[in-house]
Amino acid sequence: MPSSHQSVIKVEQLAKTYGKGENAVMAIKECSFEIFKGETVALLGPSGSGKTTLITMIGCITEPTQGKLYLDGELIFDQHWRINDTRKLRRQKIGFIFQSHNLIPFLNVEENITLVPLMNNTNPKEATLKAKELLEYLGVENKLAAMPSQLSGGQSQRVAIARSLANNPKIILADEPTAALDAERALSVMRLLKKLATEQDVAILVVTHDERMIPLFDRIIRVNDGYVSEEAKS
Amino acid sequence: MISLAQRDIAHSLGKFLTTSAGIGMLLGVVLIMIGVYRGLVDDANILLKDTQAKLWIVQQDTLGPFAENSRLHEDVKYQIKAFEGIKDVSALTFQNLQLYRNNQPIRVFAMGYDIHSFYTPHLLIEGRPILANHFEMIVDQKTGFKLHDEIVIGRDVFNVVGITKDAVSSSGDLMVYFSLPDAQKLQFLSSNEQIRNDRARGIKTTDTTTINAIIATVEAGADLKTIGQEIERWKHVKVFTQEEQSSLLTKNLIERSAKQIGMFTVILLLVASVIISLIIYTMTMGKIKEIAILKLIGASNGEIIKMIVQQSVLLGILSFIAGMLFSHSLMDLFPKRTILISTDAFSLLVIVIIVSILGSLVGVRSALKIDPASAIGG
Ligand SMILES: Nc1ncnc2c1ncn2[C@@H]1O[C@H](COP(=O)(O)OP(=O)(O)OP(=O)(O)O)[C@@H](O)[C@H]1O
Ligand SMILES: [Mg+2]
Repeated sequence: MPSSHQSVIKVEQLAKTYGKGENAVMAIKECSFEIFKGETVALLGPSGSGKTTLITMIGCITEPTQGKLYLDGELIFDQHWRINDTRKLRRQKIGFIFQSHNLIPFLNVEENITLVPLMNNTNPKEATLKAKELLEYLGVENKLAAMPSQLSGGQSQRVAIARSLANNPKIILADEPTAALDAERALSVMRLLKKLATEQDVAILVVTHDERMIPLFDRIIRVNDGYVSEEAKS
Repeated sequence: MISLAQRDIAHSLGKFLTTSAGIGMLLGVVLIMIGVYRGLVDDANILLKDTQAKLWIVQQDTLGPFAENSRLHEDVKYQIKAFEGIKDVSALTFQNLQLYRNNQPIRVFAMGYDIHSFYTPHLLIEGRPILANHFEMIVDQKTGFKLHDEIVIGRDVFNVVGITKDAVSSSGDLMVYFSLPDAQKLQFLSSNEQIRNDRARGIKTTDTTTINAIIATVEAGADLKTIGQEIERWKHVKVFTQEEQSSLLTKNLIERSAKQIGMFTVILLLVASVIISLIIYTMTMGKIKEIAILKLIGASNGEIIKMIVQQSVLLGILSFIAGMLFSHSLMDLFPKRTILISTDAFSLLVIVIIVSILGSLVGVRSALKIDPASAIGG
């Protein structure tokens, strides 16, 4: 259950059409929903239904065609971007986790995690301390100095999760974060995200195909052919 | 802040160093070409500088011995010496000569000088100046002859009494020196058969009183122009100052070859610039994915531009260092002198850095166009 009713993500009639004219693809036709502080929400739907499009619009990576987007109570999009620097917003408020870990290959684990906090002018000592703490929390504290190429798939994914948390985000957006992991690992990663949401009051939106994860979420939003519908948990 | 440029380089250090070495070789060739150019200009002036003369007296209506034939009668030198303000004079002869060492021909430029005048070969590094009026000579070390070697020219045997270093004529031939009488004799050196033929025709076979130029020093405070005009007015000769001779030499004689090398250097530099730009562009394009991730996690354009530009400049500087090492290790293998001047090297460094920055701008442009969404999926 949500710990409070403070809205963190709010979309109103959000729509996205890729391309123009004959080639236009209406990936998201109309979406309205709200996600609150501390909530863990699953985004389910068949392949090509528009999940990634939706989550990247919320992350200010893909520009919507229509509708409104609010993040942390602030109007972000209405016809056009309402803020100047979407990247600043991302590095200050949003953590991303992707299907593939997307670590930067030339930075070691510690640097991958501290990069965003340092770009936010966090004190370097503090950033390192936080990185250690997160890695410990995720059970990979011995990999601080390792390069991404020296990590297993599961370890990389956990480092990526640590990176998404390093800037104390209000929102975590995850696109199939467990796809590269075995069932056991996948479940433990999801449990971890769930724990974060409750302990640190983060709103978490996770795209997943895996029906076994469903019991772990507070709510389920289904995407179908560009429309969303709230689904009652059975 | 973490230096992204430095981390990326450290991660693929081998590749980065190899690339620098490659560009370095190209820059090395540029440096050598500049060195060859400098060598050409410098060589042309060596002989002139070595005389340490103030005035050059040459045949009327000629530009002097380096440009065309100039002939004077030897006794003009006594008349010149008598002019007010003239301190000392030396008569000189110049001629091309073929020497043989181990039956190998060596083309040299021979200079005859008054051994009792102010002039002495300053480039001497071994032995002594010529003291005897006959059968002594000085050679440049690059001829391969050693001190006390005996060299046969015509019917005479010359003893090597001195060795010079880097003494070359304005066209780059190695220098040898003779006493004036010996040199005058050599100018009319002919085979026995030819002498017999010439005598039969009634030609005088030993006119040994001709010289090619007179050099002079002046008293302290004397005005070169005034003395020159005075001499020209009374004697039917042409007088140049040392500076005039030097600029005539560079203008008339080596300008075309210098331009030739200059053009080549410029083209080489352009090619190097294009290659540097291309490499930096490819280097940036090889990091599309990383740049997309950086944008995705919120890195500003400033961070990304800094990464690319810093890397390019570092590549440029490393390449330059490699180029310096490369050119310095090859320079001595060139038969003619190549001179690497630090101001030339510095100019090249500045050009390389500018090219690196300009080259990286192309990379930066494409990097800024990368869509952060491209990091997702796949
Ligand atoms: N950049 C793009 N340009 C054009 N069409 C796109 C683009 N990205 C996605 N689409 C189209 O939009 C629709 C939704 O794609 P999206 O990636 O959001 O689906 P998804 O639900 O994430 O699918 P999956 O489960 O396979 O990842 C698809 O029909 C896709 O072809
Ligand atoms: Mg997707």
